[in-house]
Amino acid sequence: MTTRVLYVLAIVFGLHLCCAAKTVEERFYEQLVLKPNHDGTVTSSFSFTTLIKDGRPRDPRTLGKEDESQHYTLFPLALGQILRDNAITELHLSLNAGKWDYLNWGYPEEDGVGTGAELWAWMAEGGPVTVDERWGNLRNALAGLFCASLGSLDEQRTTSPALTFQPEGDLPAFSSSHQLRHATLPSEHVCTENLTPFLKLLPCKSLSGIASLLNPHRLFDADWHGMGVHVRFLDHAGIEVRLSFQAVHNPVRYASDNRRDWSLRSLFDHTIEQSCPVASSSQIRVDLPRSTAAIITEPEPTARDDAVAVYDVRQLNGSLNVAMRWPDETSFEYPLGASSSPLAHMTVRRTLKGSDQYKGHLSVVITNHLMSELQTSYLETMPWLLQFYLHSLRVEHDGVSRDDLVSIVSYTPPVPHARPALLQTLLTLPPNSTLRLTMDVVKPFLRYTEHPPDAQRGWDLPPAVLMPLARDASAGGRVRRVYTPVLLVDLATPDFSMPYNVIIMSCTLIALIFGSVFNLLTRKFVAVSLRPPPPAQRVEHM
Amino acid sequence: MPNRFILKLRVILRGTGGDKNVTRIQRRRKLGNLAWRLYPKLQILLLLVGYAWMLTIPSSLHVQRTYIDENALQPAQVNTYWNWGDVHRADLYLEELEALRDCNASSHEIATFLSTEFRKLGIPAAMQEYTFDTRTGAVHGMNAYAVLSSPRASGTEAIVVSASRRSQTGEPNLRGVATVLSLAAYLKGSSLWAKDLVFVVSDGHLDGMQAWITAYHGVAQSNLVAEPLQLASGVIWTALNIDYPGHSFSHLGVFFEGLNGRLPNQDLINSVQRIAQYTGGVPMLVYDHKGYNELPNQESAFLPRWLPDGLRQTPEAQEYAYRAENVVRHVGFQARGRASGVHGLLHQFRIDAITLFALPAHGPHGFHAIGRVVESTLRTANNLLERLHASFFFYLLVGPTTFIKIGGYLPSALLVSVAMLFGGMGAWAHARWIPPPPANEKQEQERWIARPRPLLPALFVVCSTHALGAALFFVCATSFACAAGVPSSRAPDHLILKTLNLCLASTVVSVTSVLNFSLAATLAIALGFPLSFSTPSSSAIARLGRFTAYASLALGWLFMEDEVTQALLNWELLGVWFAPFVCIMYTPLVLQAGIVCLLSP
Repeated sequence: MTTRVLYVLAIVFGLHLCCAAKTVEERFYEQLVLKPNHDGTVTSSFSFTTLIKDGRPRDPRTLGKEDESQHYTLFPLALGQILRDNAITELHLSLNAGKWDYLNWGYPEEDGVGTGAELWAWMAEGGPVTVDERWGNLRNALAGLFCASLGSLDEQRTTSPALTFQPEGDLPAFSSSHQLRHATLPSEHVCTENLTPFLKLLPCKSLSGIASLLNPHRLFDADWHGMGVHVRFLDHAGIEVRLSFQAVHNPVRYASDNRRDWSLRSLFDHTIEQSCPVASSSQIRVDLPRSTAAIITEPEPTARDDAVAVYDVRQLNGSLNVAMRWPDETSFEYPLGASSSPLAHMTVRRTLKGSDQYKGHLSVVITNHLMSELQTSYLETMPWLLQFYLHSLRVEHDGVSRDDLVSIVSYTPPVPHARPALLQTLLTLPPNSTLRLTMDVVKPFLRYTEHPPDAQRGWDLPPAVLMPLARDASAGGRVRRVYTPVLLVDLATPDFSMPYNVIIMSCTLIALIFGSVFNLLTRKFVAVSLRPPPPAQRVEHM
Repeated sequence: MPNRFILKLRVILRGTGGDKNVTRIQRRRKLGNLAWRLYPKLQILLLLVGYAWMLTIPSSLHVQRTYIDENALQPAQVNTYWNWGDVHRADLYLEELEALRDCNASSHEIATFLSTEFRKLGIPAAMQEYTFDTRTGAVHGMNAYAVLSSPRASGTEAIVVSASRRSQTGEPNLRGVATVLSLAAYLKGSSLWAKDLVFVVSDGHLDGMQAWITAYHGVAQSNLVAEPLQLASGVIWTALNIDYPGHSFSHLGVFFEGLNGRLPNQDLINSVQRIAQYTGGVPMLVYDHKGYNELPNQESAFLPRWLPDGLRQTPEAQEYAYRAENVVRHVGFQARGRASGVHGLLHQFRIDAITLFALPAHGPHGFHAIGRVVESTLRTANNLLERLHASFFFYLLVGPTTFIKIGGYLPSALLVSVAMLFGGMGAWAHARWIPPPPANEKQEQERWIARPRPLLPALFVVCSTHALGAALFFVCATSFACAAGVPSSRAPDHLILKTLNLCLASTVVSVTSVLNFSLAATLAIALGFPLSFSTPSSSAIARLGRFTAYASLALGWLFMEDEVTQALLNWELLGVWFAPFVCIMYTPLVLQAGIVCLLSP
């Protein structure tokens, strides 16, 4: 017995000595923010942060050499390997389903709420492997890790809109500069097969702590849901990986009596039974609505003020089921008018007009809800499936053409079959009014191999991204990215269900044309006499 | 014996000559001669067969049972949860709508009420004001619409559920509107919708929807002033329009013809038929025609009285009459390019749309049945991963479960067109060749006398008649003064004119037949015989008489004042090209035939 203990101790001590050469200190924080919205929905934002203290991104110039060993206890190794193999400084991946309603739900905790998949990464240049090669490896590795079709984020969808997608962390001072790669795939849908690998990256999986609320049956029935992976480097802290999951639940839809009361059990069908032992902090924050008479029922929060109630999950005894009730309401009534203080600075409506298969126009209608002038950047990363003409960009305000409201236009035209277009401008929105932008677009003709082999529903186009440059006090001075809904464009498509008819028809035509041309080319033209032969000859022939 | 027979046949086919090439050329000549001798008979034969084929269209010869082609649709395979609570809600909406009607509420008030009700359900709603300027005066109105963004969906595709405020019967469509409101409340409760649901309550009958759908697609129309839409969704794939004017209904009738003869994909109609039968328990009709088996004691008014009773009362004859009634109604809509309901305005934007018409009756069905049918149909449309395609756009629906494929009806018009082409070719040959004088004993071979064919004068007449037709159309469309002059032309060869006339008519019929079969068939009926047998007579009075007959055929429609007004209004408001087509194609073609008769032989 004693020897065994000694043996174990020796191993532990030995291991400790091994690692003492390079001690990696890791921290894990988890947080859930629950926010009731005025349209009866509840936004839940999970965030799981792992920090490698004093970690530094890999310098791409060391890519050919052997890397330092990676011994992680909390940090997800599968992700860490991808980051180091491709020398990624900063990475953002989001997989979302649904349309984020900025007017009713306000700004999300995590900015990346565009429908479908979005991946962007900052990478340093230099070294034996180019940035584009590493970008290709990165998206393939992530596709494998998250079971998503990120491999399709190829050159035809990759752009470098560095103004809108500024790094969230710091860029290490390598001798070479950093580059951005960004791509979106709006047709990608998030589902259980993406959540399972996501949960595997968490130190407590979904067994304990806040992550035990991540019940796919409920999350994927929410009005909006999306997951994100965010890696950034902070100069004085280290490398931080933030795994996030956001969902907008609709308790009114579930309730038989049309009430908006909710609890963790009603939203997730789970409660928190035990805390995650390795978490340095584990919090549930509930935003308390100001105008309505909502009460938080048992249990009592660890801390609370007028705006927020905080539960510390680490001090958990028994199960935790946070609940909120509106005791004065018999049934929920939807707010009829627009609220006096809009939750978003502006709303954007982007539509594709026109009904023919060749031409159309892209219309973007931006309404500024503020009483002051607002400047916003406007970014289109459009695949060549829809080609717009910059000279046809028209800006209208109150029915008057106002070209002066558009400034700093930068435009990279698309290359058909190869590269997407990139348009970035700065718009000035007059106070409390609506601005209309239109651009003529052309729908190109695809080569037959470019049509997908599956059901043809049209082509999804990525969202436009706007960035209102009003410093919002509540957002900590952070500039928000606003995503428009995605679009679908119908390109001229052959009816692939009748290939045989087409083959038969064209083969017949070719045979007819070939036959007659061949006949004419090979025929010898001679004069023949049509006089009937004398009768004697006729007998001989008989 | 058989050997000798084969030898004889060989002699007939191969000729007796020794040289193979000589016999081939001789064979060709023989065939050519045969065709030359037979073509007038062949022409008549083709015409007769074509017309006879048209008569057999409603018979059971070509009829086929409908089937679902697109497997993804899975009609009537879902449990519906539309319940009496939702019916009660619809009743409450109906009460409020009736109160609004009784106090003579304005368009604006009703639209405000509707959009407020949508907002109370938590569905973003807005209104759209529009004004049409027509010759008869301005048409104002106000649409109300709501866009239910489906949970989890990206909102790139949409399904429209609509009801016009005025039914096609002319009564207010209160129950249709109440159904849409109640459906909106009910459909918001589920998360399974893969496409956005857009609810539209359009003002008027057709005008409101035209204003809404053109604004949705950003298409400008010169005589329409419509507010831009404040809410948007994605590409609309399917639309259901609910027309429920009566108190209760006995059958659901389906109306499907769109503007300019466009038809929705037949799978949609077939799905609705199956859903109505298996989920709703409501019999479906084509239009509002009840079949002979629905009216056992009533004879079809479609069979002529002079038929003997014994024949008229047979089930076969009754069935024929029922199908014929459907076909004639269909041709009436399609040939004139008219939309048979509000749905018809959507086809021009590649939306498969139909109207469900609740046939007014004392019972037994109401909100419960129509709600279930619409819910299940929406589920079916929601299943689609791609647009409906599969060339199911060409059909003649002769009964709720029976239809005729394109191969069954298209030959009828094409045969007439081919007959006209033969006539034209024959005339072309006649214009060139004059038969030899009576055979001379000494001449070894007959020689036909060739003559030049001056094409230009005839071409001038053709072009000028079409220009005249265009002018006539503009006169009609601007002042609606009925004036038509006869183009004065010198005497070109009537045969050449006839050639051009027949070939042109044949082309028009055959090209139109794949775009709008009903129009092609109507043209074939109207043009087939008259154009094929236009010949000048030697007496001037007979020539004038014939020309007058042709001219009255060409321009007789000018006296159908209601029709002309309706066609012009359709052109002006909805872009239906029936009126310009009649003026620019039909009238000139018949006038050309008249001129053929007018020319000296």
